[in-house]
Amino acid sequence: MALVSLLNLLPAAQAFLVSLQHQDVAGRTSWIGWANYAAALGRGDPFGPSLAHTIQYTAGSVAGAYLVGLALALLLSADVRCRALLRALFLVPWVIPDVATTMLWKWLYGDQFGILNTLLLRARLIGEPIQFLADPDLAMASVIAVQVWKLYPIMFVTLLAALGNVPPELYEAARLDGAGRARLFWHVTLPLIRPASVVISLLGAIWTFQSFDIVYLLTGGGPADATRVLSTLIYDKAFYATDRGYASAAATLMLAVLMALTVLYLLAYRRDRES
Amino acid sequence: MGAFTRRETLVTAIGSAFALTAAATRADEPARLTFWTVRLNTPELTRALRGVLADFSRAHPGIEIRQEPVSGNLVYPKFLAAAQGQAMPDIAEAYTYHPLQFAAMGQMEKLDDIIDGWRADGTLANIINEYAYKKFLWQDHYWGVPYNLDIRAIYYRRDLLAAKNIAPPTNWDEFQAAAVALNDPAHGIFGLVFPAGDFHIAQHFYMMFMLQAGGSILDRDGNLVFGTAARDANVAALRYLTDFATKYRVTPPGIAAYNTDDPHTVFLQGRAAFAMGTGGLIGRIQNERPDLESQVGVLPVLQGPAARLTAGFYNPIFVWNGSKAKDAAKTFIRWLVAPGRLEPLYVATAGQLWPVLKTELANGRVQSNRLLNEAATGVIPYTVDFAYPGYGRPEMGVIDGEKMFAGPVNQVVAGRKTPEQAVDDAQAAMAKLFS
Repeated sequence: MALVSLLNLLPAAQAFLVSLQHQDVAGRTSWIGWANYAAALGRGDPFGPSLAHTIQYTAGSVAGAYLVGLALALLLSADVRCRALLRALFLVPWVIPDVATTMLWKWLYGDQFGILNTLLLRARLIGEPIQFLADPDLAMASVIAVQVWKLYPIMFVTLLAALGNVPPELYEAARLDGAGRARLFWHVTLPLIRPASVVISLLGAIWTFQSFDIVYLLTGGGPADATRVLSTLIYDKAFYATDRGYASAAATLMLAVLMALTVLYLLAYRRDRES
Repeated sequence: MGAFTRRETLVTAIGSAFALTAAATRADEPARLTFWTVRLNTPELTRALRGVLADFSRAHPGIEIRQEPVSGNLVYPKFLAAAQGQAMPDIAEAYTYHPLQFAAMGQMEKLDDIIDGWRADGTLANIINEYAYKKFLWQDHYWGVPYNLDIRAIYYRRDLLAAKNIAPPTNWDEFQAAAVALNDPAHGIFGLVFPAGDFHIAQHFYMMFMLQAGGSILDRDGNLVFGTAARDANVAALRYLTDFATKYRVTPPGIAAYNTDDPHTVFLQGRAAFAMGTGGLIGRIQNERPDLESQVGVLPVLQGPAARLTAGFYNPIFVWNGSKAKDAAKTFIRWLVAPGRLEPLYVATAGQLWPVLKTELANGRVQSNRLLNEAATGVIPYTVDFAYPGYGRPEMGVIDGEKMFAGPVNQVVAGRKTPEQAVDDAQAAMAKLFS
């Protein structure tokens, strides 16, 4: 336990020390105190917009994945044919590596013969191709859709298990009281799966907040920085700009947000276990 | 002390023989070098490189080279981690400004002796142009040497131009007019396709027009002039390039998301009259669309308002100053960068990699292949390093790496900035490096 803690704490501590320094192209370092943090939190710095994009990306992906996962879990909790097969198929996005996922969606989104544009054009729903990845106003939604696709399987599996733990007697009792399907869902199902929902949503938020591959490979953070999130900013600053001080400061700030999410997750998990 | 007994003599003889053999083994142990490769990691190039290394081993049995591929996406993390841990490879080939960046970190071995040797034996005069090796000169020492070249070119459809009686353009006005005239989206043909996504490749084509407009990033003394003395020319170049997308609309609407291979694919599909691409497109045409090859040409470098130049990427090979076998490493480099040694790499992927030696450009393989010959005669002689007319600034590695002028191309094409704003913002970012 001590060794694991050390392996986790030492790099974080070193990163914090680096964040208090400036390092030039030649690798010369100088102590500058909180200046990197001040720069990151200052006006005009890309940290603020990148943080906003990250929150947008996380909230959109988790909400979308939750809704899709819940819908599929409700579907499979009913008596449907080929349930086992469907359950396996719904897990496929989870097992596909991120790089393959990115290539797949790049083809789907392609402005020239991408499947989505081809189908929409043939159905005459659009007059010209949609620039899913080239339009700064659409790119974030497009990237969120990919993350939703990637994340929904874990939501689905968790919520399916939670739905399986809802006592059927509660539904019977509610029906006897005259509750229809909508009221059953709102007043029986949702409250009883809420602990699992909170836990898996927080976990999804932690994963998405720090995710890197999909955004970096799909858009590089563009177009016009519309999809630049904290992880891509930190990567570019650390390894291309060789501004490791700033990158470490940004990473430390990111860690603070993740720690807050983690604490919430642990509290929710404990409450769920107790209930 | 009396004479040795027979037993003592035997023991002494065996012991001496053993000692002599062991000493001989240590002296005979080959020098072992680790060689990291970044741009030679495709299956074809790996196979070709193995053959090259085998040839070297036969010629120099006392030197063993272990090649390790490094993913292009992991170059910086891997090298920086290795530098921190003092575990750099003995030799490496990587991206264009890595030797200076790592030299600034105190990690590189000076290669002045190689350059001096090349000067004496005529190799230096045989290199395409002086910027190919001067770019590695910093603080009066050479920290890397060029060993091959990456090009960026404009490809065109000869048949589409001929159908409209348009001659291959030679200057900016002609090129713009041709792209506009050939744009026919109703029949699935775009006038021009180029990568304008927020990826490194976007800036490589901006460099081309920047140089032709008389613009630059550095002046002759290595001072930053991107948004100051060279601002007007750089803005003009950025406007010229992005106008194809924003004003004349002769490009696919999605180019603000295009990376390197996207324009290649559009061109291979026969849906663009002109395409900006890497030299590797030649190989793709030959392998994937041999039916199209006779209809494709490589446009000679355009005459811009101020110059007829284009950016060339002279790829370096360099030595770690912590290597225990520096002499062996330099022996390898001298052997490698000699006429004919790298030919297997050039054959493996036609057009992707090029020699830096003029004599190798005129060999039978290049002259007998029309596309290769057009690139060799119409593009390569006009290549300069993108720091031209300056050189020797490690900051160029950061400027290239952080996409400081891929961003401007993407931002203007995406409609978020004007060329003036984009150049000014890029200047502000670059200025922080030089301060």
